[in-house]
Amino acid sequence: MGKEESPQITRRTTRSSSSVTVAKNGVETTKTSDSRPLTINELVFGENPIGLDDLLSSFPSRRAQILELVRLLGPSNSPMLPIFIYGGSSTGKTSIILQIFRHLNRPFVYSSCLTCYSPRILFESILNQLLLHRKNAANGYSSAKRCERPSDFVNSLREALSNVINNLKGNSGKSSTKNLVGRADGSMVYLIFDNLELVREWDKSATILPFLFNLFDVLKMPEVGLIFVSNTSPDTYYSSMGYMEPIPVHFPDYTEDAIRQILMKNQVNRKLYLSFLDVVLRPFCRITRRVDELSTALAPLFEKYCEPVSDSGVVPNEEMKRVLFSHLQPYIAPSLNEVFKVSSQPSPEVKTNSEIKQKGSRRKSGGCEEIDELDFHMSTSAKYLLISAFLASRNPATLDASLFDPMGGFDSRKRKRKPSQKSLEQKETVEQELLMKGPGTFPLERLLAIFQCITSIAEGSIDEEEQGDEGLEVQGGDGRLMSDVLLQLSSLCNANFIIKGGSCPLEGLIRYRSTVSEDMVMKVARSLKFPLSKYLYRR
Amino acid sequence: MALASAATDSPIQTTSETNDNNLQTFFVLHKASSRKSEKRSTGTGKTRRRIDLSPSSPKKTDKSEAERAEEWDERRYEHLRMEAFELVWSRIDLTIKDVLRGINTNVLNEIHSWVCESFNAIKSFGTLGFAEATRSFPIVAAATCKRLFTGLILTKNMEFVDDLLTFEELGLSLRSHGCHVANLSSMDFSAKNGIGGCLRGFLRQFLTTTLDAADISILASWYREQDNHDSPVVVIIDDMERCCGSVLSDFILMLSEWVLKIPIIILMGVSTTLDAPRNILPSNVLQRLCPSKFILGSPAERMDAVVEAVLVKQCSGFSVGHRAAVFLRNYFLNQDGTLTSFIRALKIACAQHFSMEPLSFILGDLLVEEKQKGEKICLLPEVILKHASQLPSYVRNQMADQTAKSLVHGFSELKRLQKCWSIVVLCLYEAGKCNKIRLLDLLCEALDPDLYISRASNNHVELDKDSGLGMASDRCKRRKYSTFQKGGIISQIVRKVRDLPAVMLYQLLKSWENITVDILEIHEKLKELQSVLRFEDGKLKQNVDDISKRHSSWSPLNIEKDSKAINEKAATLLDCLVRDYLRPMECIPLHEIVCFKNVEKLQLALIGDPRRRIQVDLLEFYKILQCSCCSKSGNVLLPSMHDTSVMYTLAQEHGDLINLHDWFQSFKTVVLQPSTKGKHKSKQSPLSKKRKHKYESENKSEASIQARFCRAVTELQITGLLRMPSRRRPDCVQRVAFGL
Amino acid sequence: MGRESAAEEALKLIRSRLCDPSFVFRAFSDSPESNYSKLKFIISSSVTEACNNSILLLGPRGSGKIAVLELVLKDLLLEYADMISVIRLNGLLHRDDNCAFKEIARQLCVEHQLIFSKMASFDDNSQFMIAMLRECGLAHKTIIFVLDEFDLFAQGKQRVLYSLLDAMQSVTSQAVVIGVSCRLDADQLLEKRVRSRFSHRKLLFLPPSQGDIERLLEHIFSLPIDSTLPHDYAVEFNAKLQNMLADDKFKQTINTHMNSDASVNDLLRFLFRAVSYMDSGSGLLSLEYFKTALSNIQRQPKLECIKDCSVLELYVLVCMKRLEVKEKNSYNFNAVMKEYKSIHDSFMTSDYYAQNVCLRAFEHLLHRELICFTDNRAYNQSVEFRPVKLLISFHELHQGLKSYRSCPAILLKLMDREA
Repeated sequence: MGKEESPQITRRTTRSSSSVTVAKNGVETTKTSDSRPLTINELVFGENPIGLDDLLSSFPSRRAQILELVRLLGPSNSPMLPIFIYGGSSTGKTSIILQIFRHLNRPFVYSSCLTCYSPRILFESILNQLLLHRKNAANGYSSAKRCERPSDFVNSLREALSNVINNLKGNSGKSSTKNLVGRADGSMVYLIFDNLELVREWDKSATILPFLFNLFDVLKMPEVGLIFVSNTSPDTYYSSMGYMEPIPVHFPDYTEDAIRQILMKNQVNRKLYLSFLDVVLRPFCRITRRVDELSTALAPLFEKYCEPVSDSGVVPNEEMKRVLFSHLQPYIAPSLNEVFKVSSQPSPEVKTNSEIKQKGSRRKSGGCEEIDELDFHMSTSAKYLLISAFLASRNPATLDASLFDPMGGFDSRKRKRKPSQKSLEQKETVEQELLMKGPGTFPLERLLAIFQCITSIAEGSIDEEEQGDEGLEVQGGDGRLMSDVLLQLSSLCNANFIIKGGSCPLEGLIRYRSTVSEDMVMKVARSLKFPLSKYLYRR
Repeated sequence: MALASAATDSPIQTTSETNDNNLQTFFVLHKASSRKSEKRSTGTGKTRRRIDLSPSSPKKTDKSEAERAEEWDERRYEHLRMEAFELVWSRIDLTIKDVLRGINTNVLNEIHSWVCESFNAIKSFGTLGFAEATRSFPIVAAATCKRLFTGLILTKNMEFVDDLLTFEELGLSLRSHGCHVANLSSMDFSAKNGIGGCLRGFLRQFLTTTLDAADISILASWYREQDNHDSPVVVIIDDMERCCGSVLSDFILMLSEWVLKIPIIILMGVSTTLDAPRNILPSNVLQRLCPSKFILGSPAERMDAVVEAVLVKQCSGFSVGHRAAVFLRNYFLNQDGTLTSFIRALKIACAQHFSMEPLSFILGDLLVEEKQKGEKICLLPEVILKHASQLPSYVRNQMADQTAKSLVHGFSELKRLQKCWSIVVLCLYEAGKCNKIRLLDLLCEALDPDLYISRASNNHVELDKDSGLGMASDRCKRRKYSTFQKGGIISQIVRKVRDLPAVMLYQLLKSWENITVDILEIHEKLKELQSVLRFEDGKLKQNVDDISKRHSSWSPLNIEKDSKAINEKAATLLDCLVRDYLRPMECIPLHEIVCFKNVEKLQLALIGDPRRRIQVDLLEFYKILQCSCCSKSGNVLLPSMHDTSVMYTLAQEHGDLINLHDWFQSFKTVVLQPSTKGKHKSKQSPLSKKRKHKYESENKSEASIQARFCRAVTELQITGLLRMPSRRRPDCVQRVAFGL
Repeated sequence: MGRESAAEEALKLIRSRLCDPSFVFRAFSDSPESNYSKLKFIISSSVTEACNNSILLLGPRGSGKIAVLELVLKDLLLEYADMISVIRLNGLLHRDDNCAFKEIARQLCVEHQLIFSKMASFDDNSQFMIAMLRECGLAHKTIIFVLDEFDLFAQGKQRVLYSLLDAMQSVTSQAVVIGVSCRLDADQLLEKRVRSRFSHRKLLFLPPSQGDIERLLEHIFSLPIDSTLPHDYAVEFNAKLQNMLADDKFKQTINTHMNSDASVNDLLRFLFRAVSYMDSGSGLLSLEYFKTALSNIQRQPKLECIKDCSVLELYVLVCMKRLEVKEKNSYNFNAVMKEYKSIHDSFMTSDYYAQNVCLRAFEHLLHRELICFTDNRAYNQSVEFRPVKLLISFHELHQGLKSYRSCPAILLKLMDREA
């Protein structure tokens, strides 16, 4: 990089006194380049431009889009109507438009609405680039102009643009004598707005979005080209009507063989990888066609695939492919159904992690079963509270009385059956409710009532759980569990097991909802030896 | 006196500031309760002092003289005790910190090495010059390069408190290795401030200047312009679960756009399970993460480590009694399983011990220098000896002559027994480790005096058999054991030892050997056992690798048999260790000096149970403000009583909903009635009032009564016992009593 | 000058014409009953008679209201140079009164070489405006206020409009307020106090007629014979152009486009795209360019989205569609999963995946905006419980499935069954 940009920097310094023969020691120029004054050439891509053929070859199956874009941008110094590039994420929109500008070597201003998360920051970053202003410690990382309103932005944008364009005109006049690489070509300036779909969220697309779409007409400067890049198609913007619709360019998602070509790029052993792709690519493409997801999913699989292979340079023949495939087979289905793969302990050289592993295994062997062991610590009362919250969310409030009576298990079951036989259709509705609305909400009082019932029922289990010391336990085990239950509740809320809306828990107006998954609760109940299924309605 | 009161206050103070949830008890009713506690404690102190005084009084002729000397001693000993407390607690604190650090070091090192690796990985994607790195448009690169390396740190505990310290240490250690670290917490990821506030907080940790419009490009230029672009930027997010999902995902997406220009590495603390990130973040954000997980020590492990260091190995002489230990254990298991609260409890116990036990300052001396301990105690004035002679355990053990010498001997004995006890406990723990015996449970059982006594009696019964025939007696004894304590942890361990595979047994004996090294008598026994083992070493070896080879087909019997024999021997050893040396604190003379037993105080301090306390205090307030007027009247409401308590007592009669009007009326009647009348008459009391007590009714104006009513209601609401009228029922207040 | 460069010159010329509305609408300016002449007459009369006036220019987007207005203003500025000063406001930028007055003050200052202070308050600015109105009135100078996106000014308290029109009523000023809006009912939005002060003269801008379009095309494409361009090339180009314009297929192409959207700007966009295909080899226009441009500019985004979907996403879509056919008025991800499972159970499909994978596909659909949540506030409710709805019609989905290559047969069968 350093070497590539050093000529441009020397040129930058010596443009006035036009002599190209300056020592090109890239290192020190990169070191000190922040002290140098920025020139108009900051606005071009900066590395030496690439030919159209390299451009086309570097993006497989994007030929049509690239050519179309180049045509729409047209020859240098020719004005342009706004362009709207859209297509699914990771279809190469941003990289292609950037590479095209590298190829054309024209000045442009890029701003992503993801990084510029508010109108003010968007405006200021555009102005900073146009005014060749760079934030640094010297100016306290402040931007060149402070502007928040579109009206101010338009005014200062106008003058900034006109300066730049005049600068470019003079520049091009000079450059007609000797055509240099880092030198901006033509006197057009292009504004690129990336991730435009995010702007709709900013102020409910009331002002900013129509403003951006109208910018071309508002400015009335033919030397300015606007390029919008968005994830979503133009018809998703119709809700914010009132703009001149730009020219759409669609980037379709990659087809399977396009994906194959892309994945094949910069692979060391292409043959091997190709055989690998033949095995896995089709099933994966049925799930998703996004390159990033596919590449992250396939990388670990390929390692597995390569395990039997001795040398990396081998060219697989048929039965070798067969062997490799049979080796790979068991891993495919799980990784098909895996979205978020967490690799544990990437650093094998530390022995401590192996020790940790065996510790873990020991813990499991120590615990009753591997599966249903809860793998993090909760206090007993928190566990009971969690269970009661779960019950409160799942059971209809009307049945509490019949489900939890302090008489205990058998009785409650007998009573439970009665209403369930009585109202089958009600059950249906409850089932639907659960499916649709998810876990129901409940007030604090109900939660605590259920909690009390459960704990009073489960006292016995607690006691036999703690052998030596019934004496202490009996004299107010319930009271003990009950004592700082509100604290437990808050910590449960913090762990996202219970979601609450509203303010202070003493002001019982808020309703809570437990979002904990059922098997999790089952684990908890098992760790308490608590008969959960008995109190769960319709289970 | 003032000093004394201050000293006795100190535990209460620590209480009130440590568990903030029962602060209310002290606020409500005009801070009466704190005064009460002080009064009570000093009162007890006084009484004891009187008792102590009485034997020592005949010596002194002049009462006033005695008094003054008394006072003087008091002050001096108070001072000594406070010093001792400082000393002991600082020692304990230090130990705990070391232990915790020791537990974390491994993980911290792992994390650091992982950070280095991932930083190299990022750098391998290409190094950038200044211009590229600070430009607004992204580097054109493959999608895989844009992923953020993310370490998910599983802190095995739902409660978050314990790990705050851990994450600070993590940040410090990474900083010390030259990374740029930003510690963020869920506060920064609140939905209210949004991504802007989050970025501002994030940048503030690197830049000195305050920014009004924060964005990542600033960080990029900062990162490049200092010569610090040869070390990663690490973002530590303490508690991932609490973050607002949308803000967090915005943050991650934003960072992933810049990851090639700023090598950012994220560390997130996950307190529950690995599903938490899945639940919080949408898939396109998860896609940007390249996660790998690290596991911190589980709270149970930490707890065992701390208990071993503090209570078993007894870094400071201080120890707790059986009931206290059990209470601590239950508190840990049932209330909130945080180490922090456990330590807090320990500290409270320590403070209370030193504040209440007059002789406890000796502990400090014991701690400081073993050498001069002897003469130090010889120097002790008569009073102390008297104190000591009063100690029940001392009396129980009939150490008749109360001379300094016997005291000294008593102390050394105490220390020796303690030592033995702790060693045996450690041995048991070693043996129990392989089937996950928790040290805390073991401790509780080992401290149980009743069990000890029962064991002792049991020995006396079968001493004779014990001498002669080994195994059979062992067997039957074991049966006896299992009869008199079924499921007891110790017996479990012993049983476990009996059927231990030879290899593990060998390791176990080794570990015992270096545990017991400094108590000779135990060490001897161990030695002879091991010599037996060595004798059969060849065979042992055989069946070791034979076991390892898994074909014990040839002559399994004899191998089985003599390996069994070894096991038996080991178990026997363990048995008699338990019998002879596992002598709980409370069975040792003079233990009161070093051992804290008063559970009730601890309980009061830790589980304030505020809501119940408030209501109880409201109902029987006269215990607190001990006024002459209304202490005698049982549950009869008098106008002289405190308004709030009157109101609350009245509220008892209503259901969940209290009609304000009725309530006010009854309150008014109570307030206006003559102090003699009881509440049961309050129905016709209005007219009676009309007849007799006109003058009362006129000077108590309606307005003032209403004002008092309102104030009382507000107080009740502040204490969280009432909920103000809702829009639906404007005339009723609701009681918020969670069945407490 | 070689053919190549000549062609490029021509291309640049035509592109610059297409991007310059004033040039385009010059084509309509000559006819006497055109909006141009009407508007010019109105304004010039009010300038010469030194009276106040207000007009509304109404018409659909891209029908060249502003362009014509700009033409008129340019010409008038040539005629009466020192008697006119123009203040341009845009509803998008100066919606709120504070901004608007500040902008007015700023432009007035620029016009009259005064120093504009950013610190000036709202009242200062409005006072300043009224003062300037009076001054200009005394100096017999007309201030023309151009209010683009007029309807946006009519939102809120309308203080700008009121104070402006009120000043025109009371003070001896001469000003012309020209409101430009694409809402034909723009004057109905005005408050009573404003409307009473507003003269209801309106100019309606209609979509171009057939003849207009032809004139426009010729006006835009025909190269000047006497210019830097080589003479014979220009002649050849124009000849090709002529017989292309005469061609019926070409007319048909243009008409099909105009049927889809009728405004001039859309036509310009279409032409721009077509011209951008012109390769510098031949350097001549041809019918194919316009045909490809037509196919490229008339898109069916939903169908494209469906083509972009993966098979699993198609499954999710079909499940949702089935739910809708079953009159499930509201459903969420869980319901969809239930449906998905039932399909799998009944037909033993090859691709049945875990819930989290399906959830990811579901989120992809959300990002593609083929589906969306029916509510937008339930934030503490997790995704799989929030009710959703399809954003594509049954027909679109069916079409998409048909055109999807390697679409699973079972899905098509299901859709056919529903149909």
